[in-house]
Amino acid sequence: MLKVLIIDDDDIVLLVERKMLERCGISAEAKSFNSGITALQFLQNEGKNQDFLILLDINMPRMNGWEFLDKLQGIKLGSSIFVIMVTSSIDRYDKETAEKYQKIISFIEKPITMNNCSEIKSLPELKDYFTNEID
Amino acid sequence: MKHKYASLHLLIIEDHLGDYILIEEYLKEEHKKIELSRAISYKQASEFLDSKIYDAVILDLSLPDSDDPFSLVKNIVSLAGKTPVIVLTGNSNKSFGVETLSLGISDYLYKDDLNSIQLSKSLDYSIERKRIENQLIESEKKYKSLFALSPLPMWVLDRVEFKFLNVNDATVQLYGYSREEFLNMYVSDIWNKEEPEMDKVIANKKDEFFKIKVTHSKKNGDKMFLEVRSNPIVFDGIPARVSLIHNITAQVQAEEALRLSEKRYKALVQDGSDLVMILDFEGNISYASPSVKSITGLEADIFLQNNFFYIIHQDDIAMVKDCILKLQKQKRVQIPSYRIKTTQNEWKWLETIITNLSEEPAVKGIVANSRDITQYVLQERALIESLSRYDIVAKATSDTITDYDVQNDIMTFNEGIKDMFGYAVVKKTKSGKWWWEKVHPEDKDRVKERTQEVYKNNKNQLQIEYRFRCADGTYKYVLDRSYLLRDDKGNPHRMIGSMQDLTEIHNYIQTIEKHNKRLREIAWTQSHLVRAPLARIMGIIDLLQHHRNIDNAYELIEHILTSARELDFIIRKISSKAERSTLKVK
Repeated sequence: MLKVLIIDDDDIVLLVERKMLERCGISAEAKSFNSGITALQFLQNEGKNQDFLILLDINMPRMNGWEFLDKLQGIKLGSSIFVIMVTSSIDRYDKETAEKYQKIISFIEKPITMNNCSEIKSLPELKDYFTNEID
Repeated sequence: MKHKYASLHLLIIEDHLGDYILIEEYLKEEHKKIELSRAISYKQASEFLDSKIYDAVILDLSLPDSDDPFSLVKNIVSLAGKTPVIVLTGNSNKSFGVETLSLGISDYLYKDDLNSIQLSKSLDYSIERKRIENQLIESEKKYKSLFALSPLPMWVLDRVEFKFLNVNDATVQLYGYSREEFLNMYVSDIWNKEEPEMDKVIANKKDEFFKIKVTHSKKNGDKMFLEVRSNPIVFDGIPARVSLIHNITAQVQAEEALRLSEKRYKALVQDGSDLVMILDFEGNISYASPSVKSITGLEADIFLQNNFFYIIHQDDIAMVKDCILKLQKQKRVQIPSYRIKTTQNEWKWLETIITNLSEEPAVKGIVANSRDITQYVLQERALIESLSRYDIVAKATSDTITDYDVQNDIMTFNEGIKDMFGYAVVKKTKSGKWWWEKVHPEDKDRVKERTQEVYKNNKNQLQIEYRFRCADGTYKYVLDRSYLLRDDKGNPHRMIGSMQDLTEIHNYIQTIEKHNKRLREIAWTQSHLVRAPLARIMGIIDLLQHHRNIDNAYELIEHILTSARELDFIIRKISSKAERSTLKVK
């Protein structure tokens, strides 16, 4: 099973994205976090033996998306974590930075659309999870 | 002849008194002035002969203290020495009288036949003969000592084998062989082995006088130059040669030294590239060394017919003449470079040192020593031209030009050191240390490292930026482009550099960078702050569009309104910030 986490400091975004994921059948139980710190705590406590898809915002107070990824490197979970950067940034530096992280499999400019969601399902890294579900 | 002797002094050795009186009688008949001594024994006779010299001795063989007439005669002859001895014998031993002649007596007489005339005649002959004999002995002695004691080495060789028959002391001294060694040697033993001609000369002039120069070896191996004069003689009945040796080693060496000295002189003056002339104050030339041909194109003898001033460049004549006139007050003058015309109608540059040797009998004139410096002058001119070009460039540029003499640690600057940095540098030179002190402490190690790299790695170009302190204590950013010149051995010789003031450009770049940073900030703000509410609005609209039957649609529309207000606020804020940070172009 693929557990989906949404990390964004904007509650409206969290609401909209959760509804999108639900509607397009990616996850009905996506977990929302309004800060990277609480998300890390969750992963450390309950993240074992579970594969994760994280939709991650970059620009957040206290801990931004990059800092979250750096911290995540230090945690050993023994499971797969796929990260999709979801950001309002259209700055090319952010896209360049994203290429340095292996866990990042995609980069989506906000807002997430229904089209984005179908694309997520057909990403090579994630494809298998969703075909199994259909079966 | 009989009265030749002023007074005759005779010794009569006769024991028999009757016989003695008889002899005395005979003698006095013929000789007016005569003095007689009588010895009656051998013993007494020997005492007399020891103490006095007689003109003659008359000896009777029968003496009481002598039994053996042979030894008696021998002893008396020996004692008598240069004095003639006449022996008187009785009839009984006539034959013995003849035998005594071989013992060295002058005459013998028979007692029984004795008369005054016979005795007197015998006496006269004996004395005269002995005198001549003595002279002969004396002369031979003289001759022998002449040979033996001659200061010139002499020797006698036999004429067949050339074996040494006699050598004198001077020869022994000269050659170092002892007399005994010489007498067992052949003349070829002292020949220098490099004298193959000697055999021939000796063979050709076997019986003639010859004179030859040879080299001989001493016993210790030293070589000598000798002149040998050799004459054929008969030596003790053997055909021989007497040779006189003249040691001319010193002379030959002196001649050799002279020859070398002349050769040196020739090499220096005759064959040297410098032109040596002897001339007078009017410019008439009395001597010119052969190098005149290579310098002027004229043969020396034709050159001598010219006047020296004739070939000098019109513009230089006055100066040359002035210099020559100075010789009246000083011995030596150096004429600075001047031009002479060659037969090819070219001008050559000469530099001449003139020395007044008018008082010197061998010279009687001014000796002028000239060197062709044409090439040097042309090179110098090219150099001056290049230097003046360099000077013009150095003045025209706004850069500071540095010229560092690596080996002597001297740095020379152009005006830039004052104009750019404010240093009033006297003579525009300073030490390398002075310069290094002005380089910013944070840049110094890097600049030193790069400079050493250029020195060591056979590079010659250096381009580096650093900060350099001005006289007022502030720093200027400079771009230093330096070029290293090396000496013949490849060691760093001079480092020529130009320091370009980058301070303004640097400040400008800094300003631009600051603005870029601000622009990046604006871009970031736009991306994140502006797009955040916009993205929210777009996201909600997308959701509503695709899912019309959504439960809390009203709530979502409220969110759209909130986000739109937020967006409005942010845009107003950005607008006022951008206005404040507008970059003003100079």
